[in-house]
Amino acid sequence: MPPGFRQGQSIKCRLDVYSRQNIPKPRKIQIMVRLADLPDYEREHLLSKNRSPIGPAVWVANSKPLSDKRIALITTAGLHFRNDETFTFADATFRAIPIEEDANNLVMSHSSANFDRSGFQEDINLVYPIDRFKELVAERVIGSLADVHYSFMGAGLLPEVYEKTVRSLAGMLKKDKVDAVFLTPV
Amino acid sequence: MTTGISLVRENAASMQPPRMLWVSFPLGYPLGKPGDAGFQHQVIRHSLQLLDHPAGPVLEDFPLDVPQVGLDQAPACPVSFAKPKLDDTTWRVKLANELLLLKPWYELSRRRRGRTTVGVCASSIDEILERISICLDHPEEALPDLKWFKYAIEDAKAYYTESLIAQPGDYLPGQVQQQLWGETVLGEALISYYEYFNQHPKLEPFARLVASRQSISNAKDK
Repeated sequence: MPPGFRQGQSIKCRLDVYSRQNIPKPRKIQIMVRLADLPDYEREHLLSKNRSPIGPAVWVANSKPLSDKRIALITTAGLHFRNDETFTFADATFRAIPIEEDANNLVMSHSSANFDRSGFQEDINLVYPIDRFKELVAERVIGSLADVHYSFMGAGLLPEVYEKTVRSLAGMLKKDKVDAVFLTPV
Repeated sequence: MTTGISLVRENAASMQPPRMLWVSFPLGYPLGKPGDAGFQHQVIRHSLQLLDHPAGPVLEDFPLDVPQVGLDQAPACPVSFAKPKLDDTTWRVKLANELLLLKPWYELSRRRRGRTTVGVCASSIDEILERISICLDHPEEALPDLKWFKYAIEDAKAYYTESLIAQPGDYLPGQVQQQLWGETVLGEALISYYEYFNQHPKLEPFARLVASRQSISNAKDK
């Protein structure tokens, strides 16, 4: 049971500090993510995510043209449908996104507060570009799309924690005869 | 085989996945620009071309930055947030009044886009704001259940930001966040929760889920 406010300093004491009248005037909006352009705290946080490669390098040689490939999308944006289980604060599981489901019904339960969700709210394709890939199929740029696509929630865990579920997912992708996976972060 | 997008070049360079396309876009914008299918296709095709590389790992830089729009060209905030006198009312009333301002814009936004991303939490937006206000108005009350609270504030933030993008147009990444955290009662309320969580060692990890580093930095800098 989490402690209540009664156990700490009264929150009202802090309201003067963060009162509306003290809110800063709009400042320059940061829209680049070159690390050199970011504030120190943001740059240091992102650099803390650097990791050594997991295991030996892997490489699968290209064996068929793009126009014959079957492709699956995997995002770490924490997407799922409303009836699915939400992602917990640190969660290595994934959610399935069947191709026949309307992607406009996807919601996001990502733990991080440090990215702007308004682009995703405007256009699902910004983080899960399923309509763009359907267009590529129609244009015969790619062969086909997997029956099921997937979302993880990329926050709070080291990459190696995902290994078990990723290996499980790899087997599902093989059963779906997927040739290549397109990965998107958030 | 895999290919994909990296938003932080240094992270991809360190872990050396087989094929990655680094893009200079903000976090949350891996395809660059919402509603711009042509630009999104450029990003995708560039990444798919990495599948043809004979050897790896491959980390290429996408040559274009996100298309820029001037702040003066971006749609104005449709909501004129009233500035009530300090302490002349409760958080419950202030949040309820703010919700009244937002509701028509939320409905307009939902109709325009044909979708909403609100719905992670089972509670209604009215119930969410009501429960968020309780600890602020009555510090003796126990905190809400933290799991409920996390999903509740996700829905509250989604409701607000969807309301703020009701009008069609090109919004700058971060523009709506600045309005949410700098101009709304909800932003003030969540920063107060952040401060409370941050002062308690057992709750400190949860503080990071409530408010962004940038919003906290801005609040401290004023």
